[in-house]
Amino acid sequence: MSATLGRVLRVSLTTLGGLIFVSVLVYATLSALKPASEVLAVPLSWLPSTFEWSNFALPFTETPFARYYLNSVVVGVSVTVLNVVTCTAAGYSFSKFGYRGRNAVFVIILATLMVPVEIIYVPLYALVFQLGWVNSFAGLIIPAGTSAFGIFLMRQSIDSVPDELLEAARLDGAGELRTLVSIVAPVVRAPIAALALFIFMTNWDSHLWPLLVGADDAHRTLPVGLAAMQANNLGSAGVPMMMAAALLALLPTLLLFLSLQRRFVEGVTMTAGMR
Amino acid sequence: MAILSNRTSERSAEVDPADPGRRGRRRRRGIGLSRDVIGALLAVPAVVLFAAFAVYPMLRVFYLSVFDYNLTSDPEFVGLANFAFLATDSRFHEALGQTGFYVLGTYGPALILALVLAQALHTKTRGMGLVRLLYFVPVAMSWVAVSVIWRVVLHPDGLLNQALSIDVNWLTSSSTARWGLVIMSVWKEMGFFLILFLAGLQAISPDLHEAASLDGAGSFRRFWHLTLPLLRPVTAVCAVMAVIRGFQAFSPQVVLTGGSFETEVINLFVYKTAFENARMGRASAVAVLMFGALLLLTLIQLRAFRRRDR
Repeated sequence: MSATLGRVLRVSLTTLGGLIFVSVLVYATLSALKPASEVLAVPLSWLPSTFEWSNFALPFTETPFARYYLNSVVVGVSVTVLNVVTCTAAGYSFSKFGYRGRNAVFVIILATLMVPVEIIYVPLYALVFQLGWVNSFAGLIIPAGTSAFGIFLMRQSIDSVPDELLEAARLDGAGELRTLVSIVAPVVRAPIAALALFIFMTNWDSHLWPLLVGADDAHRTLPVGLAAMQANNLGSAGVPMMMAAALLALLPTLLLFLSLQRRFVEGVTMTAGMR
Repeated sequence: MAILSNRTSERSAEVDPADPGRRGRRRRRGIGLSRDVIGALLAVPAVVLFAAFAVYPMLRVFYLSVFDYNLTSDPEFVGLANFAFLATDSRFHEALGQTGFYVLGTYGPALILALVLAQALHTKTRGMGLVRLLYFVPVAMSWVAVSVIWRVVLHPDGLLNQALSIDVNWLTSSSTARWGLVIMSVWKEMGFFLILFLAGLQAISPDLHEAASLDGAGSFRRFWHLTLPLLRPVTAVCAVMAVIRGFQAFSPQVVLTGGSFETEVINLFVYKTAFENARMGRASAVAVLMFGALLLLTLIQLRAFRRRDR
């Protein structure tokens, strides 16, 4: 009896807390749909008097929002593809071959895992500046083209691929690249998916680096563009547009997360597990 | 360390010479590429990117910390002057204080809340998956978008004030802005640690709890004497990640308070020193100090959590 009561209490309390958590998002969504005069009304009215769906067009008509969005997609997808390719190849290399120096290189890569990338931004910027990559997609994409986490994750995953499988492929005359693409990659597709999801979401959130190397209008990604839009629209007249822009900006990662929850949770626990 | 074990696979010379792949192998040997060479080549793209954009800058940050450097002229050696400057710079000390406040204020409550909620949500009750999702959602959102939304939530006539029937001007003074930041960040980050704690709880065998139950241990005793000690490795990881994530904070401060001095954390201080005042050497010196501090904090945390294992 008391166990049932405890369960009911537990479910209701956690549900209530969860609803309070998402109320912020509901509030943001409804604010995006209100006429500007109603967004900060006292007392608070949750529902708009009229649903202004056209507010969602404002970021596109009033600011270069579409440009920022496209930039973010291009950078996010490129960085993700690059990471999947470089990390899978490196993971295969570190896992299944016995050349000299392999472990030393791997240990150096592992050792950098604890260091937040912000710490190296000054010399990294100086390097990218010297390469002439400031305000270019190269500067946004190439330095983020591989990750210690990804290399570690792929090596761990490929370790579990049986050597017999690889030998069989070689006996059939497949080269190493061919073995990697058509035998190894399909076996470790789940970790690859977790890696891709994790890299994309992290990159989508990236703000400081794109602010340094892509601050001009043509190369601004969403975080940089949104922050600039915010700074230009601090009055309440801009609130519906900014809410709409923020919601549109978080939509891709939110949808990815909702459809690939399990992979995402794996990604988080694996990032933590290797520290 | 198991991950570093040498798992050398067979070399081609050890393969049965009668195998049908022999012709192909001989051809490869003909152009001088043995299997291991090809294997090593596969790591080249990652290693080159890594060396250029991670290892080199990491070494360079130590080098630059003893120079005066503004990006366009040659670095000028100044010894420990950058560090001496930081030792007496009140703005830097203020930034340290803000960072400390932000890390403790955000991640202390976030970790405790996550641990308690993980207990409540670790059950097979139907529908709990959906409830968990409510808490996870902020984790999947970008910091800047979240901050844009919270500017409105923290507005004097925004959701927070009206929901609590209070009248606080959150973002206009340092005494309230830092709390506004903390409230938002707990909301954003709690779910991340909840994921880790839930994963940790799932790894604990239910038999242990059953046995403790039969021995007459109540739910609080089981939590304190069983769950908590078994979760210690997860807690250690969470604590380390909390400190690192807290030190990384940049976007919320920039968007919520416009990067004003009110909430200037270390990362903002470095950003302004390096890129607004062109003091690359001085900013590198801060990075070196951060590097040392993080390393020390991580070691202390790992040690503290390990010692009680014995």
